Amino acid sequence: MKKIVYIFSDGELKRQDNTLKFYCEETNRYLPVEDISDIFVFGEVNINKKLLELLSQKEIVMHYFNYHGYYMGTFYPREHYNSGYMTLKQAQFYLEHDRRMGIAGAIVRGALKNIRQVLKYYANRGKDLDASLQKLKEFEEQIDGCADISELMAVEGNARECYYRAFDKIIENEDFVFEQRTRRPPRNHLNSLISFGNSVMYTLVLSEIYKTHLDPRIGFLHATNFRRFSLNLDIAELFKPILVDRVIFSLLAKKMVTKQDFESGMEGIVIKDRAKKLFVEELDNKLKTTIKHRDIGREVSYRRLIRLELYKLEKHLMGEKEYEPFVARW
Amino acid sequence: MFVILVYDVNTKRVNKVLKKARKYLNWVQNSVLEGEISEANYRKLKMELQNVINEEEDSCLFYTFRTTKYSQRESLGIKKGGDDVII
Repeated sequence: MKKIVYIFSDGELKRQDNTLKFYCEETNRYLPVEDISDIFVFGEVNINKKLLELLSQKEIVMHYFNYHGYYMGTFYPREHYNSGYMTLKQAQFYLEHDRRMGIAGAIVRGALKNIRQVLKYYANRGKDLDASLQKLKEFEEQIDGCADISELMAVEGNARECYYRAFDKIIENEDFVFEQRTRRPPRNHLNSLISFGNSVMYTLVLSEIYKTHLDPRIGFLHATNFRRFSLNLDIAELFKPILVDRVIFSLLAKKMVTKQDFESGMEGIVIKDRAKKLFVEELDNKLKTTIKHRDIGREVSYRRLIRLELYKLEKHLMGEKEYEPFVARW
Repeated sequence: MFVILVYDVNTKRVNKVLKKARKYLNWVQNSVLEGEISEANYRKLKMELQNVINEEEDSCLFYTFRTTKYSQRESLGIKKGGDDVII
């Protein structure tokens, strides 16, 4: 599978000899254009139109984040999988209340199951999480009773709140307590790790959506509004617990990230570059990890799993096969 | 698949070969590149190189592996190039 490149250094990204070259003080590196599918830019990188042309031609998606690690935007090359049919189907399912509820409900159910799976792992290792697990099960049962999207969102929100509260018992590190979920800006260390992880996850899913016929602007659980992508937020719900949260747990358990890796500024608690790099590295390794997929019977990476999820959604929209969200079994 | 490309070509054409190869593989050190490549791209690369080199004078060698599971790379001295994706 083509690779994702993460640029933290400041420098210039250029098209040279029909491939990519990154110039900076420390290294001048050629990046093989044929083996790259996404570029994540965290540093101050200069680009020009020639580069964008090449990225378009090679269908490489470029995401950029600001100094604080917030997602700022994406260079989304011209759609190469243009399908009016799929866009219409997506809109149709969005507009019909029952059908939209069907997909949104499935996504929330999948997300809660994955959350429970993560907690179960730690419960088996002697952490006192039975109460949280029980509560989450109750939330899961409420899904079917939801009459509209806002109720569904409320259930999801409450469940997630309950889940995040369990973090303290898992992490057991007083430097990283949860307190409450704060965003824009995150007000403590754990919150800023979660926020950073989630924004990388959202972008990752967006990249995968680009490689399918789906339109990232029409989500089902998250309302389609006037400004941004929402389908990626939907699908990311499923993968946040098993990818992002697990990476956070392992970074903190191994003490790879400590309090010194943060500084407080106007924008809340900001993660320093070193920790961001570590996080991204761990996540990238996780994405490359393969698991045996039960339906197709071969090894697939987590990154491929995200794409497969989108294909399942496509099939559902085309009426070929009912959408069943991915649920981790370990 | 994983491929290691080693080339020994007339100095007139060294740059041409390098330019073509860099589109697909990571430069490791002089005349050596390596990297993950798809079956299709591997053929494309071979074609492109064939068009550049002079078959009477030059040589390009490809070592291909299905996976890198059973191979290991050791290095001595300085690291010249690489395949880091986090820069």
